This record gives sequence, structure tokens and C-alpha cells, in this order.
Amino acid sequence: MAQIEMKNVQKFFGQNQVLKDLHLTIENGEFVVMLGQSGGGKTTALRAIAGLETVTSGKILIDGKEVQDRKAADRDIAFVFQSFSLYPHMTVRENIAFPLRAVRMDAAERNRAVNETAETLQIAQHLDRKPSALSGGDMQRVAIGRALVRRPQALLMDEPLGVLDSKLREQMRAELKRLHIARGSTSVYVTHDQIEAMSLADRMVILHDGVLQQVGAPDEIYLKPSNLFVAKFVGSPVMNVVDVQIDGTRVALKGVETDFSFGEGMLAGLSKPGAGIALGLRPEAILLSHEKTKGYSEAVTTNIEPLGSHDIVDVRLGEAILRVRTASGFVGGEGQTVWVGLDTAQAHFFDNQTELNLRGAA
Amino acid sequence: MPSEVMTRLDPKSHAAAKGMSDLSIRNLFIVPTIVFLIVFNIFPLLYSLGYSFTDFRASTNAPANFVGLQNYRELLNDPFIWKNFSITAKYVLISVTGQVIVGFGLAMLLNRSIPAKGLITTLLLLPMMLSMAVVGLFWKLLYDPNFGIINYFLGLGKFEWLADPDMALYAIAIVDIWMWAPFVMLLSLAGLSAVPKHLYEAAEIDRAGSFYTFFRITLPLVAPILMIAIIFRTMEAFKTFDLAYVLSSQPNTELIAIRLYKMAFQEWQTGMSSAFAYIVLIMVVAITNIYVKYLNKVKAR
Repeated sequence: MAQIEMKNVQKFFGQNQVLKDLHLTIENGEFVVMLGQSGGGKTTALRAIAGLETVTSGKILIDGKEVQDRKAADRDIAFVFQSFSLYPHMTVRENIAFPLRAVRMDAAERNRAVNETAETLQIAQHLDRKPSALSGGDMQRVAIGRALVRRPQALLMDEPLGVLDSKLREQMRAELKRLHIARGSTSVYVTHDQIEAMSLADRMVILHDGVLQQVGAPDEIYLKPSNLFVAKFVGSPVMNVVDVQIDGTRVALKGVETDFSFGEGMLAGLSKPGAGIALGLRPEAILLSHEKTKGYSEAVTTNIEPLGSHDIVDVRLGEAILRVRTASGFVGGEGQTVWVGLDTAQAHFFDNQTELNLRGAA
Repeated sequence: MPSEVMTRLDPKSHAAAKGMSDLSIRNLFIVPTIVFLIVFNIFPLLYSLGYSFTDFRASTNAPANFVGLQNYRELLNDPFIWKNFSITAKYVLISVTGQVIVGFGLAMLLNRSIPAKGLITTLLLLPMMLSMAVVGLFWKLLYDPNFGIINYFLGLGKFEWLADPDMALYAIAIVDIWMWAPFVMLLSLAGLSAVPKHLYEAAEIDRAGSFYTFFRITLPLVAPILMIAIIFRTMEAFKTFDLAYVLSSQPNTELIAIRLYKMAFQEWQTGMSSAFAYIVLIMVVAITNIYVKYLNKVKAR
């Protein structure tokens, strides 16, 4: 178990800077998920921690010891690859035993460790088969087994569920979480799947263009996104973002008369001339009503996605299309007139220029 | 429905205009090759099988008498023939082992990003493209005890590489290694670059040292293609004639192919040499089969 720190880490590939001044501390026993788009630098950051990639400058510390110049083998860290990277010519048993044989652990102890790991991961019945004879989920279990068998300081995972189908992914996600709780190992997990990230993470790290955007618990990231990127990237459907004018306590959308009532002081200091302000609303922060209600504005529904447990309804309000989460069947069909209100407590305001959340993130 | 193997003839083509069907065009291409193969390969093969049971001599007009298995019996009881076989076996072993070590080593060196990799690879492949007889002749000059550059650089004085009974076979094997190690290198390089890079990363994470990684990851994964290179080179080395013939006429370097040549075209024992050729053929097929069996086992993993 270990604490991992990244200090001022920079990484260039030629002229291209993929990690920009990264600072991050991962506490002992914590499950941290790095989330971002592809090319955002999250995999590079993970590989830098593992030692599969050198850093251009900055420090990486594991348990307070600088390791940025050490080889991967000397960092005592396990890594689960997206492609599993199982050794195709070895049986499952040999694959799992490989990290132990590589350091010449004696056979009895090795067998005990392999069997124990296989039991935990429920792959004991496959031990004498070749990886190619296994299903995707079992291959992933073997890859995780190979990582866990030597009880590493930390477990790094690079989109380990990326190639599995969605059902298996959900199942493996639960297993990973269970395993983490049982083992308590420091884990760093990279993914572009926000649901995976939110369900697994103690803390999430959002990376974009090599810059750290926000670090925090999943609900914190969801409820208090620090900037527009995080706000739009996390959450499904995507947060509605519309340009607004703020005048005193009034919020005006383009092309429509609205009467959204914000409480006293909620808009204090937000009226900024010039650059403009964007209003961010999650689909559940928008309320629909069939009757005319005070503070609500008239709008027309344009599209309905029935998802069973709830519906996603698109409404046109002035020039903007807002996506709203409603109870199933709340709106009968397209082209209906509805009244749109806001849960002002869940409204976010962003500066269009700096893209920062004007309420200030956590 | 059976899948379409042949592309259908375009009805607007010249061939169609001349009234040719798909089938007749196919035959047009295949039949000459098959005829050639039968006339120059299959027929002599069977005909010589017939000769191998006779005392036929191509240099005389005397009719061939059927002698049954006598040729085979004589050959297999001849200690000189066995000497030829043991020389050949030694030669094959030295030469193929040398080629694999040198070739695979070069492939390992080339299997990384180095400047001018393409040029270096091409230069290393050059020996393979030369004619055997030419290679034999200029190595003879290199080995020459009076003015050879090898003795000059190694400071061996008048050492006679090709006349020394203990050294001559090794000297020939060295030339063969020089010439054919690039072939093993080429195939090994293909095998090495097919090993996924992430397996090496996984091995590094798993704390495997470089030797452990080589013997447990690299070698097993390259083994099938390396095996194919070894099969080719073993068969070729077994049949070596020109190199050894040009380089040395030592009794200690008399490979079976040379013995066979002498028997057939200097002593004109046509029937006997046919039998000899068949013995060699069976041996090559047998040895190749051992490799193929092993190759299939490796591939099954």
C-alpha cells in the first residue's frame, strides 16, 4: 500500500505537450479514477506513474521516495492493460505466476499465492487453459490476477474494461469495487466512461488537454463542476448550457421572455458586461409543468427519448434547446406546449471567457 | 451456397469474344506449369527410382540389368558412404547453429529504432543474393595462405584453412554462415516485430529481467518462424554442393552431395547413384518431418 504523488509533472512528445504541470496526491488505499477524453493525457499520466513512460520534468513519489528515474520493475507497481497483455503461449497459471517466477519466489509459496488469487477472482477452473480459450471477462480476471498476485504497492489500470461488452463491464465494475474494498490497495484507474468513473471512484481526476481540471469525489464533481469542460463532460445527458444576460435578479435567455425567479443574492456579483455568462442546467434541474405556473416560461417539446425509468424530453425555449429529465410518459409527444421552470439551487453560471464556474467550485 | 472461387469472365472482354470460357483460361495458365513439372521433375524422379534397382551406367551402351536391392545394400554397408554422412551431419549442425545464433543476434540488434535501419538491413542481406560459386571463389581468396586477408588480419601466418584436415569443414561452414545468416535474420526480424510491444511492457511491470524476458517471452513467441528458417537452412545445408566443391577437395570435406556427384558423373555408376540419391531424399524428408512435427506443436500453443 502506498501514497503516490505527482509534482509539477510535464511530458512532451516532441513538440506536443501532453501533461502540463500536473500536481496530484493519491492517498494510501484510495481508489482514484482519471477521467478524460482520448488524447487528454490520462493514460500518459498513468504510464508515467508506472514507469512505462518517462517524464520530461517534475517528480513522481511513491511513499515519499522519488521514483521518476527508476525503471518500472523497481517501482513495485502492478499494471492492468486495456488489451490485457496476457502472455499467449502460457497457461493461465503460468501467466499469474509470471511476476512471482520473475523474482524467483519458491515454488510452494508461489503455488499457494496463485491458487489463492485464482480463488478470489473465480478463475480456479481455468488455471490450465490458454488465455485464447477464455472469454473476455475471464481474460480480464486473469490480467487482474497477475497484477494482484504479488501484492503490489499500487494497482494501476488503463481502461481495463474498455474492450468488454456493456453487460460484462457492469459486472466487472462491481467485482473491481468489491476487490478494492477487500484488498484496500491504492488504485489508479483510467477511463473515458463517466459511469464507470463515478461508480468506482473515491475521488475522480478530470484531465483535459494535459491539464488537470478538477479533483474531487464523484458527487462533488457532478454537483460543483469547476468549469465548463467538467460540467459538460460529466453527466449524461450532457448539461444544458445557454448564453444568458444577467440584469439585477433577472436572467434573460435569447429570443424569449422568461421569468425565472432567482432568490435574493443568488445572482450577486454575477452581472458582468461584455464577455457574457453561460447558464448551466443539468437535465434534472429543469422542471416541466403542463399548466401555466408562476416563474415558468412557455416552451414546445421537440423530441422525446423514452428510457423506461425516465424520459429525456427536448424542449425549445427561445433559441435554445434544453434537454429535460422527466418522469416516464410525462409528456405525450412532440410539438406539445409545456411550461419550463428551473431549480435555481442547481443552476450553474460560467464565465464564457475563462470557462470557470462563477459560483466557485468546491 | 458454395462460395465463388474464380472471378467470372467479363462478357465484354477479348477472351470472351474469342469464345473462351473461364475454364479454358484457367487451363491455359495452369497446364504449361504442370507439364513442365511432370517432364522435368516427376518423370526423372520416378525414372531414377527404376534405375536405382539396376546396374545401369549412362556412359556405356550395355543394357541395364535388374539387381534388386543390391545397390541399396552395398551403399548402406559402405563405411566410406557413412563417413560422408557423418561429415555432412557435422557440417549441417555447425552451419545451421551458427546461422541461427548470428542471424537471430543480428535480428535482435536490428529490432529497435536505430538510424539508417533500412540501409543496414539491406547491406546485411547482400551475401544471400550472391551466387554460391562466386562466394566460394572469393572466400577461397580470402582464406588463401599466401595473400589471404584473413590470415593477414588474424596474424596466422601461412595457416592453410582449406587444406587443414581439421579446419577445412569449419572454414566452409563459416562461409555458409556468412552467406545465410541474413536469411535467418530476415525471418527472425519478422518474428520479432510481430511480438506485441505491450507484452514487453507487461513483463517489465512484472519485474522480469532482460534474460528472463528473452527466454520466457521473446524466444517462445518467435520460435515458430525461427523453426521455419531452421527447416529451410537444414535442408539446404544437407544438400550443399557448390560451396564445398569450389572451396576444398579435402576428403574431410566430402559431403554427400559431392560424393553423389562423383559417383554419378565421374564414375558413371548411374544405377548406384540413383539409389544413393533416394537414400538422401528419404533422410531429408525424415529430418524435415521431425521439424514440422515440432513446428506444429509450437504453433498449437
